[in-house]
Amino acid sequence: MVNALNASLRKEASRILQENLVDVVIGFQAGSLPMTAQPAFVRRAGMAGILINSGFGATNLALYLTRRRHRSERIGLVCRGCESRAVRVLTGERQHVREALYLIGIPCKGIIDRRRIEAEAGPHVLSAEEIDAEVVVTTRSGEYRFLRSEVLHGACRQCRFPHPVGVDITVGELPRERADSLQEGGALSAAEAGTFIGKEPCGFESLTADERYAEFTRRAERCIRCYACRQACPMCYCTQCFVDSTTPRWTESTVGRAGAQAWHIMRAFHQTGRCVGCGACERACPMGIKMRALTDKLNRDMERSYGFVPGKEEIHEPPFAAFSMDDANRFGR
Amino acid sequence: MNTSVKPRLVIFQCQFNHYSEADIKSLEALETARVKLVQVPCAGRISPLFILNAVQGGVDGIIISGCVPGKCHFKEGNLGARRQLDAFRELLIYLGLEPQRLRFAWLDPADRGRLVEEAEKLISAVCLLGPATRLVTRTSSASKAA
Repeated sequence: MVNALNASLRKEASRILQENLVDVVIGFQAGSLPMTAQPAFVRRAGMAGILINSGFGATNLALYLTRRRHRSERIGLVCRGCESRAVRVLTGERQHVREALYLIGIPCKGIIDRRRIEAEAGPHVLSAEEIDAEVVVTTRSGEYRFLRSEVLHGACRQCRFPHPVGVDITVGELPRERADSLQEGGALSAAEAGTFIGKEPCGFESLTADERYAEFTRRAERCIRCYACRQACPMCYCTQCFVDSTTPRWTESTVGRAGAQAWHIMRAFHQTGRCVGCGACERACPMGIKMRALTDKLNRDMERSYGFVPGKEEIHEPPFAAFSMDDANRFGR
Repeated sequence: MNTSVKPRLVIFQCQFNHYSEADIKSLEALETARVKLVQVPCAGRISPLFILNAVQGGVDGIIISGCVPGKCHFKEGNLGARRQLDAFRELLIYLGLEPQRLRFAWLDPADRGRLVEEAEKLISAVCLLGPATRLVTRTSSASKAA
């Protein structure tokens, strides 16, 4: 099944390159380490054979729309649900022209969180294979079999929109809705939260204000300001990030409480009405910081207050720009 | 609350909200708190970074003051500010900030004296809460002076 999907994907990529519809096809290829897949930039039809569909593709490929040197480049992008929604946000923000994109939609069964696998199977994984509903992992000490649904990344477990939208073609069959997707808040049960690495709760909802600040402080304390989260996020494309501002100096750049908290608060807030909830930030973080708690909260607020979900509609109307006089009764005096 | 230390307040106010000299004089005359008034050309200029900076700096209470919808000198600056700053306040509260510490005052020209009223309400509220602790990541010697 996976091989048939790979074949269709490669065929389509080869075709659009052959017919000169795009200058480059961006997708995934096999990673250099087990349980990884790395981005692939295919410029010649003959190289399309390296493209794979992988549950270990942790990158949100839409980020490359704003990282390319030539804005006039025509890009063929392999899109899962979150990537296609990110493309809608980016084209809505005029960061790329939709006509210069050829979107190849592929079905998504969720991204596998390799840290969850390593937590059980140990760090010396030799290979990992996705076989139907299982992930079969081989280590030096033997084989481990995981149910895919148990080792999905947190963002994917609560994903409500896994199907690619607004694409030019879809290869493969879209799966039925995942029955195990969680309620809107994305809060995990105590049992599920307990299986996470470090046994951290995923959200703040049930805590008191004091506990919430304590938990936020605890998470932010681990931040080493590497900005991997920023680099992994399709929406973080500012040529000068607010942390790089020196006059005024909004956040200290040292690894300290003030700067780290400000960094997470403001980066999350800059995603309001823009974050597609892909979780690439968490997957990129070398310290395993569960930062989606902030962006998930903002996403819930935008949906509750304005009925807005980034990338869900074809026309992108960000809530912060869609203010009107009708707001007069909204916020009190 | 240690009554020998007055609460520190910051008011971010749109310059067009300064409807009366009486308002300004009353603010300066307040003896129950130390108030810093930061004027901006429009509430729409207020960046969440201003608020975060004040909160991290240990300010006890913040008022954001702009014009009511329809009265913005720049037409719609206040409308954008309402949505964005409200969302930011929700995020800060989610991370532990006491809701009473950050309030909005959307003023109409007829609301003379209202800013001082809001300041007094804020002072009573923060006196009940005590000095700011959550999200405070920078302290200065100034905050310790009475």
